[in-house]
Amino acid sequence: MAVSTFRNVKIAGVKTSLPEHTIDIDEELEFFGGSPKKLARAKKMMGYGRRYVADENTTVTDLAVDAARKLMAEMKIAVESIELLIFVNQKPDYPEPSDACIAHGELGLRTSCSALHINQGCTGYIQGLWTAHAMISSGVARNCLLLAGDLCARTTDQRNRKVAPVFGDSASATFLQYTEDPRKATFVMGTDGTGWDKIIHPVGGMRIPCDPRTTALVVKDTAGNPWTHGQGMMKGEDVFNFSINIAPALIRQTLTEAGWENDAVDLFAIHQANRQIVENIIDRAGIPQEKSPSDVFLKYANHSTNSVVTVLCDQPKDVPLKNVLFCTFGVGLAWGGAAVDVSGMYQGGFTTYIPPKDKMTRDQQLERWIKQFKGE
Amino acid sequence: MSREEFLTEMQDVLQTEEELSFATVLKDLEEWDSLSVMATMAFLDKTFGVRTTMSDYRDMKTIEDIAQKAGL
Repeated sequence: MAVSTFRNVKIAGVKTSLPEHTIDIDEELEFFGGSPKKLARAKKMMGYGRRYVADENTTVTDLAVDAARKLMAEMKIAVESIELLIFVNQKPDYPEPSDACIAHGELGLRTSCSALHINQGCTGYIQGLWTAHAMISSGVARNCLLLAGDLCARTTDQRNRKVAPVFGDSASATFLQYTEDPRKATFVMGTDGTGWDKIIHPVGGMRIPCDPRTTALVVKDTAGNPWTHGQGMMKGEDVFNFSINIAPALIRQTLTEAGWENDAVDLFAIHQANRQIVENIIDRAGIPQEKSPSDVFLKYANHSTNSVVTVLCDQPKDVPLKNVLFCTFGVGLAWGGAAVDVSGMYQGGFTTYIPPKDKMTRDQQLERWIKQFKGE
Repeated sequence: MSREEFLTEMQDVLQTEEELSFATVLKDLEEWDSLSVMATMAFLDKTFGVRTTMSDYRDMKTIEDIAQKAGL
């Protein structure tokens, strides 16, 4: 695992934006054969609870821009001060241009502010945080806005019970700054690209584009779960084994590299894959349960790229945090750990994204491009 | 942990109301699904320090097989 250490970077503030619509597992008795007992068992074993699902017109950029606008207003950050924008997600608004450019335009950032998009899921926030630290500590930028999010719930057919109960949608904005304080941030990163097919969204890129054949597909597994071209898939067993093997070692190594004992850590923010995986990791890593939330999954579900940020934003606003250890792992396969000092961080918590009344529908969007092409 | 205690624990691990015995056939249990396998893996690791993978469970037929794996 590659280790890097940076100094003089402050994580100054963070905020997550959630979509309005939620689904509670208790509303889904039909998917448990109408048996309250089966539903109760799934809740207890997996930690299923509430999940936030974006509507069909809401994208990850809408959520991220909402979080960024509100964070900058609350922290009184001038738009002109942002010198670098990083946006990490895996379900972009368009194949091109990158969401980083779209968000740059929406937020009205300066033309001298670069916009960088990173395509990554479960470990995406840490990859973004790592990149931001590298850029700031090397002098490329003093003020950086990091956007991160995903739309795993919106893209999943809720009847596909293999994945639907697991995922929720959200995006966050994190503001990072150069600081004279030589505080240290330690990152431990790794990739096993041979596992690229373990978690995948196979259709819609250039390998298998959307065409009449792929859009007509409806495949069912033995349990009757439907898979269509717009959905991702994962090899659950392999992912489970990968997660409970890599994550505890990642936590231990990140602690060692940072020179921290368990006692030094205020919060272990572990990727909320599902409650069972998180609790397994806590046990195997030998870290204290009371500092390692696994109930964030119950409250919000697994938010992929933004999952560890939901853990951070779920912390009480009146209890200042200092040392936070992040542990992320998943699609890629990739993993990333971070040991950061968040002293003085503005905890923006959660907000709800309310779409503007005049927001364009999909039909209106399509009409726009048709007119543009025709030159009308 | 005694073998009797193991049976009681397994009932909780699998979240089943079936009365378990060492002869209970796993595939006859409605609750023997991937969730249960994950829970059993965690239970063996935490309680007995025995690391298993999902593939270990493919060859297991009864509760006795799990007990053997746990070293009971």
